Amino acid sequence: MGVDVRREISAATFERSVRQHIKFSLGKALREANTKDFFWAVSLAVRDLLIERMLKTRRRYGKADVKRVYYLSAEFLMGRSLGNNLCNLGLSEVYREVLTKLGADPVAVEESEFDAALGNGGLGRLAACFLDSLATLDLPGYGYGINYEYGLFRQEIADGYQKEKPDSWLAYRTPWELERYGKACPVPVYGRVENYQAKDGADNPMWLEWQLIIGVPYDMPIAGYGGNTVNCLRLYSARASQEFDMEIFNDGDYFKAVEQKIGSETVSKVLYPSDARAEGRELRLIQEYFLVACAVRDIVRRYEIAHSSFEMFPEKVAIQLNDTHPALAVAELMRILVDEKSVPWEQAWDITRRTMAYTNHTLLPEALEKWPVAMFERVLPRHLQIIYEINHRFLDDVAAAYPGDVDKLRRTSIIEEGEQKQVRMAHLATIGSHSVNGVSALHSGLVRTVLFPDFHEIWPEKFNNKTNGITPRRWLKLANPGLADLITEKIGDGWVTDLDQLARLEPLADDMEFQARFRQIKLANKHRLAKVINDTTSVTVNTNSLFDVQAKRIHEYKRQLLNVLHIVHEYLLLVEDRKVPTVPRTFVFAGKAAPGYWVAKMIIKLINNVASVINNDPRVDGLFKVVFVPDYRVSLAEVIVPATDLSEQISTAGMEASGTGNMKFALNGALTIGTLDGANIEIRKEVGKDNIFIFGLKIAGVQRLNQEGSYNPRELYQTNPDVKRVLDAINGDMFSANEPGLFKWVFHNLLDHNDRYYHLADLPSYLEAQRLASETFADVPTWTKKAILNVARMGKFSSDRAIREYAQDIWHIKPVSLTRRR
Amino acid sequence: MELKVEKVGDVSVIKVPGRSLEASNVEEFKQDILPILNESGRVVLDIKNLDFVDSSGLGAFLSCLRTLNERGGDLKIAGMTKAVRALFEVVRMHRICDSFDTVDEATKAFE
Repeated sequence: MGVDVRREISAATFERSVRQHIKFSLGKALREANTKDFFWAVSLAVRDLLIERMLKTRRRYGKADVKRVYYLSAEFLMGRSLGNNLCNLGLSEVYREVLTKLGADPVAVEESEFDAALGNGGLGRLAACFLDSLATLDLPGYGYGINYEYGLFRQEIADGYQKEKPDSWLAYRTPWELERYGKACPVPVYGRVENYQAKDGADNPMWLEWQLIIGVPYDMPIAGYGGNTVNCLRLYSARASQEFDMEIFNDGDYFKAVEQKIGSETVSKVLYPSDARAEGRELRLIQEYFLVACAVRDIVRRYEIAHSSFEMFPEKVAIQLNDTHPALAVAELMRILVDEKSVPWEQAWDITRRTMAYTNHTLLPEALEKWPVAMFERVLPRHLQIIYEINHRFLDDVAAAYPGDVDKLRRTSIIEEGEQKQVRMAHLATIGSHSVNGVSALHSGLVRTVLFPDFHEIWPEKFNNKTNGITPRRWLKLANPGLADLITEKIGDGWVTDLDQLARLEPLADDMEFQARFRQIKLANKHRLAKVINDTTSVTVNTNSLFDVQAKRIHEYKRQLLNVLHIVHEYLLLVEDRKVPTVPRTFVFAGKAAPGYWVAKMIIKLINNVASVINNDPRVDGLFKVVFVPDYRVSLAEVIVPATDLSEQISTAGMEASGTGNMKFALNGALTIGTLDGANIEIRKEVGKDNIFIFGLKIAGVQRLNQEGSYNPRELYQTNPDVKRVLDAINGDMFSANEPGLFKWVFHNLLDHNDRYYHLADLPSYLEAQRLASETFADVPTWTKKAILNVARMGKFSSDRAIREYAQDIWHIKPVSLTRRR
Repeated sequence: MELKVEKVGDVSVIKVPGRSLEASNVEEFKQDILPILNESGRVVLDIKNLDFVDSSGLGAFLSCLRTLNERGGDLKIAGMTKAVRALFEVVRMHRICDSFDTVDEATKAFE
C-alpha cells in the first residue's frame, strides 16, 4: 500500500543520490561543483523520485482504467520547480541539511533556476496551480501545452522604458523535462481538400498536399503535495518532418532543406506575449493547431490502448479548454473520429460534446479570438469544412427551435459575416462543449447575460461558474515560510491540503502576541523585498512604510494609471499643500506590457518618470518612494506578495474576469483596496466588508453609463479640483521636463477619448479609500487584526476547491489514491 | 528509382525501395511506376521499408490508384508502418484504398 514519501527519503539517501549525480551525470568531482552543478545534481536526484512515483501513478491509472482529465492550455506559467518539488515531496529540510553539509548554499542553488515562463499572466498561472491541485487531490489529470523555446520575454528598464529581451529558459536546458521521441505526433498544415468517392460510394473529402510538422513531447512530472500522485505535463516541441539529410545534392537543395527545417521548428519557438488580447497572426493559428493536434492524437492513442471502440470515450476522457486557444480541439476530435476512425458524424458529435468543456476568461471584445475564414481555408482546409458542417447542423437546430429569428442565427453562428468573414472560436467552443464556465460569480453571470445570452437561452444547463483559486503550496507554504510555520505552529499543518482550516486562526486575530509575531514575519518579508528592490533599481525603501503594491500585467483595464493618479495626488498634497501623509508609503509596481501595446508601455514610462521625480525630490524627504521592479515573473511574485501590506486590485468593474493575484496577496496578509470586480466580490464576502477597502463604480454603474452614454470625464476634470490638479501636473510636464509633451496622451485618453476605463469616475472614491487605508495602517493593532482575518478567511480560494468543483460538476472524475499514512 | 516487380498470379507486387517517399524523390517514383501500371490491372505496393511518406508521396499513391481505376484496375497497399498509416488516415485514403499488413494478405484480397 502507499507510503508517505517523506518517510522514505532519509538525508543519507538523498545525499548519496546528489553525490552520484555530481559524479556520473555531470562528470565532476564534488570539490569542483559550482552552484549550477548543485542545482542540476539536486534536481536530477529529485527527478529520480518523481519518475518513480510518476510510473507508479500511471500504472495505478491504467490498472483501474480511470477516467482522466486533459487540461489543454497554450500557457503554463510554471515558474521555478525545484523548491516546489522539494516542498511537495516533503524534502525541504533534508535538502537544506544535505546541501549545507556538501558545502553549497541551498538558497543560492534554488535561486539559480530560471523560471519556466511559458505563459503571460493569470491564465497561464491558473493552469499551473490547477496541475498542482489535480495531483494533490490524487486526480488523474494531464496538462498539454507547447514547449516554447522562448517563453515570455525578459523585461529590462532602460531610461524608464520597457525593453524586451529574449527569455532563454531552455538555453541552459532544464532538468525537469523527459524527451519522449517515441510518442512524436505528425501535424499536417496547409494543403487543400479534394473530393473523391469512397469505396462505398459516399463522398470522401481528402486533405492533400499538406506540410508536415512533427510534435515531439517533453514530459514534466507534476508532484502533488505528499508525493503520492505524480501526474505529468506534456509539452510539445515542433520539429521538421524528416532528418536533416546530409546527402547534399546541390547548394539549392541544401538551403531549401535548411529553410524547411527552420520553418517547421518556428511553430514552438516563441510564446506570443499578448495578455487579454487576441493575436491575429497565422503562426499563432498554426501554434494553436499544433497544440491541439498533438494533444488530441495522444489522448486518442492512450484511449485506444484499452478500448476498441469509441462509445466509452466520454466516460474515459474529459478535455478542458483553457480559453479558446485550444478550441480547435472540437474540430480536430471530430476530424479524427469521422475521417480517421470512420465514426458516423452524429455519434462523433455526441462524443465530442460530452468530452469537451470550455472555460471563458474574458469579456473584453478585443480578446475574443476570431480567425479570418480565408486564413483558415489556407491553413486548415479540412477543419474549415468540418466547422462549416458543425455550424450548418447547429443553425438548423436553432432555426427549428426559433423559427423566423434570423438575427439569432446571425448572432450565434460560428461564422461572423461581413466584409471579411471570421471564425468565432468562442462560438465553436461553446457549441462543441457540454459545459461553459466563467471564473468568478460576477464573470459567469456576465458570460450568461452579456457575452452569450443566446447560447444561455438555448442551453441554460451548460453554463456554470468555477471561481478561480491558487495553490497554497506555492503561494503560502513555499513563498512565505515564516507565516506558514507560524500557522502550522498554531493550528497544525492540515491547512496545506485543506485551506478552510485557516479559519481556526480567527480567534488569534486579537491576540497581541500572535499579532506581534505576525508583524515580525511581514517585516522580515519586507526586508527581503527591499533588498531585491535595491539590487534591481538602486532605490532604498523604508520597510516601516506601507508597502502599496500593484503587480500584474500592464493593461489599461487593470488601471495602473489610476494608481499613478493617486500617487501624483499624494505628492502634490505634500509638496504644494504641505500636507504630511498619515503614514509613509512605498508604492511598488511590477508587470510586463505586451510589446505591441503602446499605451501599456507608456504607462511603464510614466511610472518610472513619476518615481524619478518623487524619489529625488528633497521635499518628499523619504515619505514616499515609488519603484518599478523589473521582470515580474513567478519567482519575483514569490518575494513581492508576502511583503505586501496593501494589494491594488483596481480594475474597472466588469473587466477583470476573476483575478488571482488578489487571492495571493490576501492569503499572505495584505489588505485589498479594490473595486467590486471579478473575485474581489467573493473575497469581500469571505473576509468581511470591514477588512477590505472597496471603492468605485459597480458593474451596474458602468453598464448604466455605457448604455446612457452619459459619462462626461471633462466635466469631472472641470469641477473636481483634485482631478484637475493631477491631470494638469501630468499634462504640464511635471514628470517629463526633459521630454515635453511625452504624457499628453494621458490627457487625451481621459478627456478627449472619453476615458473608456472610467479612471476619473472612480478617482474621488479611490482617493477616499486610500485615505482610509492610510489611517487604518497607522492603527497598528487594527491593521494587523484585519490582515490576520484576511489570511484566516481565504480558504475558499484554494485551487483545491476549484478543482474539486470541476471534478465533480464537469469532469466526473474521482481520486485514485494510495492509502496515505498521515 | 529501382522498382522491383514480382508477379503473384495476375497481381503485380511492386516493392518500393528506400526509407522515404517524399518531395525529393516522388517525381522519379511516378515516372518509373507509370509503365508498370500501364501493363497491370491489379497492383500491390509493398511499402514495408518506408518509414516516412509525406503528402506528395501519398499524392503519388493516389495518382497510382486513379490511373488503375481509370482502366478498371485497383491498388492495394501492404506493409504500412504505424507512422505511415497515421498519415494515410489523415488523408482519408483508407476509404478509397485498402491496406494490409502483409503482401500475402493484399494479393489474396484480389481473389
